Amino acid sequence: MTSTLAAVAARYRRPMTLGNAVLDIHPTAMVAGITALIVVGLVSAGWVAPLVVSVLFVVIAFLAGRGRSYLGTILKLWLAVGLILFVLRALLVKGQTVLVPLGPIAITREGIQDGLRFSIAVMAICGGVTLFFAIVSMRRLMLALERIGVSPRVSYVILASFQAITDLGATARVVLDAQKARGIEAEGNVFVRARAFFPVLAPVFLTAMSATEERAIALDARAFNNPGRHTSLLDLKTWTGVDTALVAVAAAMVAAAVAGGVLGWF
Amino acid sequence: MVLAALKGVGFTYAYAEHPALVDVDLQLEEGLLHGIVGLNSSGKTTLCSLIRGVIPHFHQGDLTGEVTILGRPLLEWDAAELSRTIGCVFDNPFTQISGIRDSVFEEIAIGLENLGVPRTDMIDRVERVVEQLGIEAIVEKNPNELSGGQRQKVAFASIVAMDAPVVVIDEPTSQLDPEASEAVFEIIDGLKAQGKSIVLAEHKIDLLAQYADTVTVMHAGTVVMSGPTRDVVGSDEFGSYGVVAPEVTELGRRLAAAGRPLDRLPITRGEAFDEISARMRSTHAH
Repeated sequence: MTSTLAAVAARYRRPMTLGNAVLDIHPTAMVAGITALIVVGLVSAGWVAPLVVSVLFVVIAFLAGRGRSYLGTILKLWLAVGLILFVLRALLVKGQTVLVPLGPIAITREGIQDGLRFSIAVMAICGGVTLFFAIVSMRRLMLALERIGVSPRVSYVILASFQAITDLGATARVVLDAQKARGIEAEGNVFVRARAFFPVLAPVFLTAMSATEERAIALDARAFNNPGRHTSLLDLKTWTGVDTALVAVAAAMVAAAVAGGVLGWF
Repeated sequence: MVLAALKGVGFTYAYAEHPALVDVDLQLEEGLLHGIVGLNSSGKTTLCSLIRGVIPHFHQGDLTGEVTILGRPLLEWDAAELSRTIGCVFDNPFTQISGIRDSVFEEIAIGLENLGVPRTDMIDRVERVVEQLGIEAIVEKNPNELSGGQRQKVAFASIVAMDAPVVVIDEPTSQLDPEASEAVFEIIDGLKAQGKSIVLAEHKIDLLAQYADTVTVMHAGTVVMSGPTRDVVGSDEFGSYGVVAPEVTELGRRLAAAGRPLDRLPITRGEAFDEISARMRSTHAH
């Protein structure tokens, strides 16, 4: 046996670790934590709480070793989504205190406050979702869900759906390259690219549909339909005290935020 | 026991205008390596799908005649039972990968996970198969990023790992170089030595002639020849269905046409080596 193969096999014999304390938190505990932070950010009335939550997400990403890529993605989202939402709300929400009159519309103090509150809340959701995809391994999450009774079929459908996005992109690139090789112009401004891209969609989806049937047969060949108990090559780390503490804190935060919202603390 | 018995079998895929199989009569025995050859669209893949039960369990269409697999009518088998009993590798390597595993090691283990094999046994079996197929170098790679040939090997490895008593393989070497093709055939030969029954559709007739116990020739959706490899591949009729005979068989025929026939028409390189060596020895002796 080669040393590489032996090392790989030895790795699978041990409980799965991603080499980082944050990444190794049980995936369901991680989902509970991220969800709780989003809820806290949304329930509180002002824009400070969602902003703090957004900053916390960045901190968590850095602790997980995914900070740079997370920060890059989230900054783009703030610019592309957050800014537009803020400007639209600031312009369109009516208020008493007019700061800048702009003909039929006006920028008001209330509009700016509402814009800040709304856009930061939306960005807290975006931040949480982005963090989820950055630090939660879907494979580990599905494995954890299978352990608590979710069918492997459901788990496959979810994992395959995510993979399908990558596959569709790859197929589209292949078809586009083939089009370019035949002399069709696919580089240039937005209109040129769009003119080259839209005709590609039909072959891309047809290819995906025909591949789906063959892939189903290939999975059947791997006993996917076997009704007996399925096992797993990966050994998910057992639930630890840290995971319990995280879920408890998450539950307490959500309870406090909801109670605070109902009782008017914020 | 008979592995597969087909009597008067016809099959037309749903929405197809022409039948893919027409009046097929065939009997394949257990424990042997059965080769299937024929031109493109001659019905090889459909025959493999039928023996594996993909038809009619997945591919809908009009199936006529009688199909018996391991002594039971095909329609009495359920899909899960078939997948445990008959492993299969199909010809398109790009759809043989699950798409949901992060490494080749994990990909090969999928079938074992579905069969409920305990983790320790699973890891041992995957290790053995990886070594057997010589794919140690790609064991950590993402299966979605492999070349066609590598995917083909991984798909094959996955089925070998499942250790089914019957294996149906459709053109396993279509994307492989000659050396890798030979290696795959050696593994298939090893599976046969373990007592497995194998049905192998393949274009590489030289390798098939060397390893297969029987050869079935498909033409226009029907079986036109079937029998022991030597009888089929060495027959004059073999070439009349568009299938090219092994190079050494062609050499033997040309020597015969030139008035210098070998004692026995070779169908494998080994036989050709023996025959030509004997000829050279007798020439030197005279």
